[in-house]
Amino acid sequence: MSYQIEAPMDLQQKLAILADAAKYDVACTSSGTDRRNDGQGIGNCVSAGICHSFSADGRCISLLKILLTNECIYDCKYCVNRRSNDVPRASFTPREVCDLTISFYRRNYIEGLFLSSGVVGSPDRTMELLYQTLLLLRTEYRFQGYIHVKAIPGASPELVERTGYLADRMSVNLELPTAEGLKALAPQKKREGMLSPIRQVQQLRTINKNELVLYRHAPRFVPAGQSTQMIIGATGESDYQIMKVAQHMYRNYDMKRVFYSAFVRVNEDSMLPALPGGPPLLREHRLYQADWLLRYYGFDTEELLSEDKPDFNVFLDPKCDWALRHLERFPVEVMRADYETLLRVPGIGYKSAGRIVKARRLGTLDYPALKKMGVVLKRAIYFITCGGKQMYPVKLQEDYILRNILDGKEGLPAGGQKEPSCEQLSLFDDPRFSV
Amino acid sequence: MIRVFQCEDNLTGILTGVYDAWASRLGHSGVRLVVGESDQELFCEYETVETDLEKAEKVLRTVRGRMGEEAALMIAGAAACTDGDKADMIYRMIALGLSLPDGRRICGMLGHPVMQRMLELSRRAGNIASRYMEFIRFRETAGGVLLSVIDAEADVLALIAPHFADRLPLEHWLIYDRRREKAAVHPAGKSWFLAEEVREDALREMEDSREEEQFGALWKCFHRAVAIEERKNPGLQNSFLPLKFRGLMKEFEPDGETTTAKGPKGLKTSESL
Repeated sequence: MSYQIEAPMDLQQKLAILADAAKYDVACTSSGTDRRNDGQGIGNCVSAGICHSFSADGRCISLLKILLTNECIYDCKYCVNRRSNDVPRASFTPREVCDLTISFYRRNYIEGLFLSSGVVGSPDRTMELLYQTLLLLRTEYRFQGYIHVKAIPGASPELVERTGYLADRMSVNLELPTAEGLKALAPQKKREGMLSPIRQVQQLRTINKNELVLYRHAPRFVPAGQSTQMIIGATGESDYQIMKVAQHMYRNYDMKRVFYSAFVRVNEDSMLPALPGGPPLLREHRLYQADWLLRYYGFDTEELLSEDKPDFNVFLDPKCDWALRHLERFPVEVMRADYETLLRVPGIGYKSAGRIVKARRLGTLDYPALKKMGVVLKRAIYFITCGGKQMYPVKLQEDYILRNILDGKEGLPAGGQKEPSCEQLSLFDDPRFSV
Repeated sequence: MIRVFQCEDNLTGILTGVYDAWASRLGHSGVRLVVGESDQELFCEYETVETDLEKAEKVLRTVRGRMGEEAALMIAGAAACTDGDKADMIYRMIALGLSLPDGRRICGMLGHPVMQRMLELSRRAGNIASRYMEFIRFRETAGGVLLSVIDAEADVLALIAPHFADRLPLEHWLIYDRRREKAAVHPAGKSWFLAEEVREDALREMEDSREEEQFGALWKCFHRAVAIEERKNPGLQNSFLPLKFRGLMKEFEPDGETTTAKGPKGLKTSESL
């Protein structure tokens, strides 16, 4: 007589568990590679990336984001898959992952595969499994769509390299912004261990780029670059520290993207902060705004934040906040200011700045023309003159501009709504200046 | 007296109209192009344009040669829109482009009212097309054909078919435009083509394949599992994915409704193609 303690799981149960376990990974981009189909297989890549659906939390679904297994030897306090958690565990076989990917892709549900994994056995064994899955998908199934794969810290460099030739993007999550945070919440992981595969991929990418110049058809190594992710609000880091790390990753490791993930308390643990107001979504939003300022607008972290002012103002976006603290640089004359100066004006983005520079060569601009080019005038009017004139007579005073911008109808993203209230006037503290 | 050329509402028809209007030698101010039957006006004489592939190809070749591929794509995009002035705008753009010493510069002339309007039209068609590239859902029939229905404001079939032809070269697939009763058809390993006057009723024969229901359920399960409960934000979801698309998307189909039992909206195909 035989007893079966646990019935084998079907594919749907596994998918439910392993997609649920993977959902805290933010990256779901399918951009950065342009690849046409060679006529022999299935799939192509579009460099802008394609989102195929949006989930109930408003995040895009571009890739089939799953773990190969949610079994893990580590016991990181913030992670839902940590060893000491009593959650159902499941594993896909490489063939199951391939079948799922191909059948979803054929129906235009997804743009490709995002494959991550818990560390099962050892880092090397996990990396080997990821490699086998990708190899099967790329060779037997002839899949030419997008693949984003995790590099497992601690796996042998040779395995990482072989996997990189099959993937479009690789990523290693930094998890927490500082080594101290990591020590507190993920004592088994080491910062150096995470940085070494990132450095390796960066170096191999440089070598590969040089190869491609000589041999156009050489195999491409991680063509869409690397990304990483940090959890925000699980440990006590300031925005300043977080942005410093992000800037370091962009400048020294050629990161394509750094993602920020508002901490969601999935485990009960005394080391983790209680978040009565839900995840710090507004803070995450401000960090992404600042991230854009670093990548496209030529800002430095040191300009936006400092030791004395280590956190962003939640009521104002970082660019506006910066402009209000540097009113001596304004107003800017739109017809004459150079591109870099235009980029720093709130309400002018990098696209409209580019358009202004092009269009003013051919003639003079006026405010309606600026509006057509995409300049957000309700923000920009305080900081620009056009042909020497302001649009309306506005005062260049911090208090005046702040009040007008905050009174605008745009409202704040979730989490930062001001409550309408009456209060006693005070000469000395204006609540809008404090965070 | 202005002569109004009434063209068929497609790219070939409009380009034939451009050819005829040009050949009439009435001058640019003496002609106007409209699509389909329009209200008659005073002081106009009306001429119906017989669509002629040869004339249209001549115009297209000239546009490609003198104004470049980008301009040709812009014209194709504008022709896909439903706006009434598109035919006339295309004529004006071609007249403008051919009057320039270097016609290739026309796409940069965004200060010109005709080009502003053309950019607006072609961008609108392009945006609708990319939305459908994202949100199209195929279902597989027992015969292994991938079927999909769209309900697009602009005539974007010809703009999205090349994307899928590159992506799924070894599959039989068909994208059906419900509003225009047209379909883009792609036999495996061959190039795609447009089929006109395909009635949806005539496409109701083929059964779903055996795996279709299973993979549909798997996809719904994935779509549910990947959302983070603590971050729920229906407003954000709605702004990225407007409700009008959801009727065509598998993951928003209510549970318990199987694909084979889909109502009159469900697409069934047939051998009549």
